[in-house]
Amino acid sequence: MHPQTRRLLNTLVTLASLLLCLLILPSRLPGMTLLGIGPNWLLIWVVSWSVKRSQFLGAAAGIALGLIQDGMTSAVPSHAISLGIVGILTARLQKHRYIQEDFISVALIVFGMSLVAEGITAVQYSFLGQRSLTEIWDDQQLVGLSSAILSSLWAPVVYFPLNVWWGRMKLLESS
Amino acid sequence: MYSLRRWWDRHGLQVGLVAIAIAGAWGVQQTQGALIFEIFSTITRPFQSSPSAQDQIEKARMMAQSERLVELENQNLKLKELLGYVTKTKSQGIIAPLIGRSSDHWWQQVTLGRGSSDGIKKDDIVTGAGGLVGRVQSVSANTSRVLLISDPSARVGVTISRSRNMGFMRGQGANRAVMEFFDKVPDVRPGDMVSTSPVSELFPAGIPVGRVESVNLSKSPAPEAIIELSVPINVLEWVEVKPSKILPDKQLSAPPPVQDTRSTEEPQIYPDGSQSPEAEKPSEPQPNDPIDASTETPPPQEQDQP
Repeated sequence: MHPQTRRLLNTLVTLASLLLCLLILPSRLPGMTLLGIGPNWLLIWVVSWSVKRSQFLGAAAGIALGLIQDGMTSAVPSHAISLGIVGILTARLQKHRYIQEDFISVALIVFGMSLVAEGITAVQYSFLGQRSLTEIWDDQQLVGLSSAILSSLWAPVVYFPLNVWWGRMKLLESS
Repeated sequence: MYSLRRWWDRHGLQVGLVAIAIAGAWGVQQTQGALIFEIFSTITRPFQSSPSAQDQIEKARMMAQSERLVELENQNLKLKELLGYVTKTKSQGIIAPLIGRSSDHWWQQVTLGRGSSDGIKKDDIVTGAGGLVGRVQSVSANTSRVLLISDPSARVGVTISRSRNMGFMRGQGANRAVMEFFDKVPDVRPGDMVSTSPVSELFPAGIPVGRVESVNLSKSPAPEAIIELSVPINVLEWVEVKPSKILPDKQLSAPPPVQDTRSTEEPQIYPDGSQSPEAEKPSEPQPNDPIDASTETPPPQEQDQP
């Protein structure tokens, strides 16, 4: 295949997966919710993206997706900060090679990153001062844990196909 | 200079792509994700609960009837209690299907499958089976996003239907909310019905909101009550959207300013000299429906009578 067409196809597939995640976001499919909270699909996507990429690209993806989610909910508190930090942290993890890269470890990373992301949102709420601190952190426990459990369970659904695709693309690129 | 050029040759494409990605994302953010919600609405259209047309009409009619019932009950109550002061909200809403939930766990929002092309505007009032649902936050052509009253950032002026003690309510997620009273010693018991208050700036008065679940009178700075919201938002499929009571030129729409605007309109509606002095009285315009006065339906009737 021509390198240009391949690159275009790669971009299209990546964007399509992203769009799919965005479209699942407002839906609550039966069996996919815990206390009315669904998986954080964008966070799963950002982790899948950043696991084998540089911090710069991880942060860029996180910020871009965060801005989109801001548009879909509300700009304050911003999701760009939490997802950007998630992108950077995930990319850093890979650099140190503390964790072998496979299904389980990605699920674990997603679990940790969900807690981090919801924590950052809670910190932003605390600075905004619209709500009392006890309320915010009670919410954080509920939201953080439910979303972490569900996101880590569903992470392979996004990660596996994307990882295979990107891996194959990289192989073709280098050959 | 050379090293800069080499760096650019190597990373230029990447930097450019990232810039495009961020700019695109920023564009989506600025348009409130309208594009995504439009695609979502198009894709989910086949899956939207669209039973037979007959069923749908039946459902809508039943909802409208129960809505009217609640409305009339409330009016009746208020007529008895506040003699001389009546606000009637005519049920002329847009029935909209609920197609999506919040895109984030911190916000209590829903997405409706009707938008500006069906006449929904920002700040419109959304009601459903059981009472108040929320307020329209943003609108795209075929979808609109509603901030539920259970959202912690939503503030609603409410009143206890039995004792008329007023306060404001803020959401607590799911189907609970906290009401803070203006009075130090409010007359409130668990089981009392709660509805939107006449001094609410955003919502019309008398829409049922929920039921008092528990009361904490010793709470500082103001006594509080936990309210169980009456609308089962998790199972709701259809809602009704009504125009907001906020006037475009008046930000403050508490009762007195509303009376003022009507009393200035009244002499124009009634050109008859005998009626205008009465219309100028502040108490006289109250029985008149604000919506009727603005939709210009009364003038032909008035002209027919003489």
